[in-house]
Amino acid sequence: MAYRIQRIPSAPPSVALAARGLAIVLALVTAGIVLAALGFNPLALGWQVLRTTFGSSYGLEDVGLLVIPLIFTGLAVAVGQKIGAQNIGAEGQFYAGAFAATGVALFVPGPMAVILPLMFVAGAIGGAIWILIPTLARAYADVNELITTLLLNFVATLLVYWVATGPWLDPSGRALATTARLPHEVPEFWGIVHWGLPVAVVVVLLVGALFAFTRWGYEVRIAGSNPQAARYAGMPFRRHLIMVMLLSGAIAGLAGMFEVAGTVHRLQGGISNNFGYLGIMVAVLARASPIGVLPAAALMAIILNSGIVLQTQGITVSTVLAITGLILFYTAIGDELARYRIVRA
Amino acid sequence: MIAPEPPVPVPTRFVPPPGTAPIVQLRGIAKYFPGVIANEDVDLDVMPGEIHALLGENGAGKSTLMNILTGIYQPDAGEIVIDGYPQSFASPVEAIAAGIGMVHQHFKLVKAFTVAENIHLGWSDTPRAVSAAVLERRTAELAQALNLTVDPAARIGELSTGEQQRVEILRVLTRKARVLILDEPTAVLTPAEAHELFRALKDFVARGNAVIFISHKLDEVLEISDRVTVLRGGRKVATEQTAGCTETSLARLMVGREIVLSDMRGRSAGAAPIGAPVMTLEDIRADDGQGHVVLDGLSLVLRAGEILGIAGVAGNGQKELTQVITGMRQAASGRILVDGADFSRAGAAEFADFGVGHIPEDRLHSGLAPSLSITDNAVLREYDRPPLSGGFGFNGRAATALAKDIAEAASVTVPDFGMPVRNLSGGNQQRLVARREMRIASRVLVAAYPSRGLDVGAINMMMRYLVELRDKGVAVLFISEELEELLNLSDRIAVMFHGRVMGVVDTAEADIDTIGLMMGGKRLTDDAKGRGH
Amino acid sequence: MINISDLTRRGFLNIGAAAGASLLLPKTGLISSARAAAPLPAVAEEDAVIAWGYVGPTSDEGWTYAHDLGRQAVAAAFPKAKTLFVENVPYSADASRIFRQFAAEGANMIIANSNYGDFIYDVAKRTPDVAFYECDGRNPLDNLGTYYVAHWYPSYIAGVAAGLMSASGKLGYVASFPVPSVYSGTNAFLMGARSVKPEATLQAIVINSWFDPQAAAQAGTALIDNGADVLFGIMDEAAYLQVAEQRGAKAVMWNTDIRRYGPQAYISSIVVDFNAWYVEQVRRRIAGEWTPTEDILPIGSGVDRDAWGETVPAETAAQADAIRDKIMGGWSPFEGEIKDANGNVKVAAGHRMTEVELYNWDWSIEGVTGL
Ligand SMILES: Nc1ncnc2c1ncn2[C@@H]1O[C@H](COP(=O)(O)OP(=O)(O)OP(=O)(O)O)[C@@H](O)[C@H]1O
Ligand SMILES: [Mg+2]
Repeated sequence: MAYRIQRIPSAPPSVALAARGLAIVLALVTAGIVLAALGFNPLALGWQVLRTTFGSSYGLEDVGLLVIPLIFTGLAVAVGQKIGAQNIGAEGQFYAGAFAATGVALFVPGPMAVILPLMFVAGAIGGAIWILIPTLARAYADVNELITTLLLNFVATLLVYWVATGPWLDPSGRALATTARLPHEVPEFWGIVHWGLPVAVVVVLLVGALFAFTRWGYEVRIAGSNPQAARYAGMPFRRHLIMVMLLSGAIAGLAGMFEVAGTVHRLQGGISNNFGYLGIMVAVLARASPIGVLPAAALMAIILNSGIVLQTQGITVSTVLAITGLILFYTAIGDELARYRIVRA
Repeated sequence: MIAPEPPVPVPTRFVPPPGTAPIVQLRGIAKYFPGVIANEDVDLDVMPGEIHALLGENGAGKSTLMNILTGIYQPDAGEIVIDGYPQSFASPVEAIAAGIGMVHQHFKLVKAFTVAENIHLGWSDTPRAVSAAVLERRTAELAQALNLTVDPAARIGELSTGEQQRVEILRVLTRKARVLILDEPTAVLTPAEAHELFRALKDFVARGNAVIFISHKLDEVLEISDRVTVLRGGRKVATEQTAGCTETSLARLMVGREIVLSDMRGRSAGAAPIGAPVMTLEDIRADDGQGHVVLDGLSLVLRAGEILGIAGVAGNGQKELTQVITGMRQAASGRILVDGADFSRAGAAEFADFGVGHIPEDRLHSGLAPSLSITDNAVLREYDRPPLSGGFGFNGRAATALAKDIAEAASVTVPDFGMPVRNLSGGNQQRLVARREMRIASRVLVAAYPSRGLDVGAINMMMRYLVELRDKGVAVLFISEELEELLNLSDRIAVMFHGRVMGVVDTAEADIDTIGLMMGGKRLTDDAKGRGH
Repeated sequence: MINISDLTRRGFLNIGAAAGASLLLPKTGLISSARAAAPLPAVAEEDAVIAWGYVGPTSDEGWTYAHDLGRQAVAAAFPKAKTLFVENVPYSADASRIFRQFAAEGANMIIANSNYGDFIYDVAKRTPDVAFYECDGRNPLDNLGTYYVAHWYPSYIAGVAAGLMSASGKLGYVASFPVPSVYSGTNAFLMGARSVKPEATLQAIVINSWFDPQAAAQAGTALIDNGADVLFGIMDEAAYLQVAEQRGAKAVMWNTDIRRYGPQAYISSIVVDFNAWYVEQVRRRIAGEWTPTEDILPIGSGVDRDAWGETVPAETAAQADAIRDKIMGGWSPFEGEIKDANGNVKVAAGHRMTEVELYNWDWSIEGVTGL
């Protein structure tokens, strides 16, 4: 009796989900074998990860805090993909949003009830401005946004480093690398987890609804799938492209705003912690679905937090990064394999 | 080293020695998609030296069967036997290694690459160190050896459809294919190009190779095939010697009953009379964005209740004409009057709102978003009006309901409206687009090659719909390369050549030879009349 | 590009509160006066978990290596207690995550060997039952103490030897960043040299890193090219020592004994030793005596000059060690009048700089250039 493997165009959701689960299990098994070879006890480590991540408020709160920027940056990338734009620049827009929000917090006097919303708006505008040039270049000169957004990441990274160590350096004297602590903070509602989390979820739901239940969303779907068809149907492709890319940048900017105003409380170089790039992974895991960003970001946050746990167990950062990469790699393979099935020949 | 055999003088027919195994044998092939039996229990033998035609209605499973043979899909049951040995192909690369190559309904060439680059792409024989000159020389040698004329340095995007197809065929043949599968190759070819293709195919099989040829054009099938296999509903109904078949017998096999081809000539009793001009084009000029003039002072009048046929060899401005009169392309100069209003600067949305439907020449590239659902694609023209949208929102349930209506009217059975539209068979995509466009074509329908990819029955139905629209007072612009079709359906025929109208004739008085001459660039009697209406 | 975590090796980031107001000097012994907080309850040794967050790798042969020796001393002194550590803790929110994870794993005491600012402060504030220590910190809490070393004294002593051994009177300094550690290091070194060679000057080159052998070697070469014949610096590696060895110059190093990279050039090193201090803090924590302290480990009990190099003349060593004895006896070289590089009197005649002032020194004295 022979069996053959057959590729199907798209996997049924249950199979896709099972493949994901299997991929994670396999990745963990592989990681376990590697760790055992390095002289660690993988079962004890696994237990430690589970216990401290889900068994303590420390772990749950850490995941809750980590997931906030991941939701925003993942959503930003996913939104861009809706119209076929590859926003690799969420990292730069994150910095721009954090920078703009910090500027408001430090230099605009006023009560928190006014300043926090103002910071929110500034963060969104900062992110949108940071993607403005790539957007216009793509819309009017057909310059590939992949490269332009990526290059601006480096500019933003250095700009924030410079401003935090130079003009906006903490005026109290001795700090060499951060601004002063922001006078306003996004309040926390559960341990260290601040209100950025519910806001992120609401933004995801709003964006999801925008694409699913509005005319505009339908037009963007068509335009993203086949710009030619959008032109054929008389849809303003260019206008949609510009709006979607700016929306993508604004959402990434919000990630920066909440990170600086809710988590770090000071602007400093390196504040993005690579959340912009991780957002690309989140969007891939979510298959560019806005709602899918929520579980994907949660998974990513759990993986990142597990990495912290492993570090305290004496495993080096590079090993942790390798394991993280392994899980994502297996997940990607699992996604692809879910589209195959074995049939009897 | 380049190896394909040189085109030596060969006998006109290759007769395999008695007892030769079939070059390809399919046994009991089945393929199921959710809710669809694409193939079931299909047997097929192809002998060396044979051109084997594959016939069947839209959605009968022809493309699927060939995709199985070339390793794109894996069969759910059955077996593939090559030269007497069972084989299974995990991918087209494995199939081509076994000598089986396919040219698809939709070409898979890289538009920005040159012919030579496309030929060598993903080919194990490609030399490691390559320069453009080396690739082009190799390509030229291969082309010459295989008797297929191509320009190795040309970019694919600059080539005509016929030339692109030749590149596809060359690509397959250079990989030493012994079985060449062609999925509706002539749908996109001019008659002249088709004949050139047939010559090449005859040459190819005369060397002991085989061709599997999918087509909806029964006359072609009768002309070039040796045997013909007919699929219906995914099952094989017959394999016949072509010599013993007629168009009617083949049509009967395909459909399972007698089909009566209605005669469209003459206007029905209740038809609206030919009325006032709906759309007037005055001295339209346009270029293709790279400086080539594609419409060169074109003038036309579309009248309500009239089918205006456009004859001409493809590539003489027909595509640009359809784009200009649907608002997808702006003319460089000239005027477009719609009901007397100036639409010269109007966009696609305004034309659609006015009631212009458009069946585009390349449905997959401009008429559909292939990766989106059937529902999303079916509502492309009506998503912005009630009940789908009352301004801001988009009602998914109403969209699905509308999609169901359209699919039903187009007689396309859809198991799942959420599946990507590219999963539909080529003909069914075309039917869907056509119905969608007819719904909004309250004033004008622009139909570019609307019968492309349709089976005999569906073509007949399509023609009937066009006539119905005309009878309701819609102006129909009907572009076709088939004179017979044009003569059958049109009230008047305009002939295009090099972006200009060479003349407009009343079908009643038309004479095929004159039209043929005009298609070759000769003006009708004199210039003044040629420009006219 | 500059890595933010590089900036914090010994930290300098102001934490917002009035700097070091409560910092008191233990002239001898280990412990400064405690804050008026109730001690944290005792823990059984077998339940005790002590965790270190390191700014660098333990393999650096320098700062983090020295702290890890302290951790090993704790492990030896309290064999039933558990010690944890994470290397290369970045100066970012990840630092907070690591400290919180230590707490989640039951740590009773969490120690950072560099200044992590808010990233440790915010965690400590939310975790009142865990004792925290931050090296070079300036923002204490009821459960967050700070500690550092009085490296300016051995720097002065090494400066005396350097002044005696320098022919040109030009000293060179490979600086990381313009931070208090560097100001107090350069100032003390030059003051030591001037005590024996009044015309001595010091040129510093800032390389924006604590660990960049290539930049440090370039800086060392440039300094020697400018006439310097004794190099000092604040690096976690031996690059400028190797340059000095090749060029026939001399060098004073930091952290540990690394004379094998340049035995001819090696004068001494500012060596640190946290072993006893760490053991004592952990003892107090386990015993239920711990309240936060703000300690500066004095010369002889946590920081000192290293054994003199083989090319240091005996009388030079003796002269420098005599100063060392004086300092250990209570004398301070850091007494007014001291002028800054612009000639302004910053420390009035007769005023003796407090340890807090030395800890927060942020200006150069006359004769220092390049900062
Ligand atoms: N990937 C797929 N997923 C689901 N259904 C599919 C897929 N591919 C083909 N089908 C279905 O299988 C049936 C056969 O399709 P196929 O493309 O083989 O038809 P065909 O004979 O080539 O028709 P046409 O003449 O229109 O090209 C159709 O009903 C089609 O919708
Ligand atoms: Mg087909």
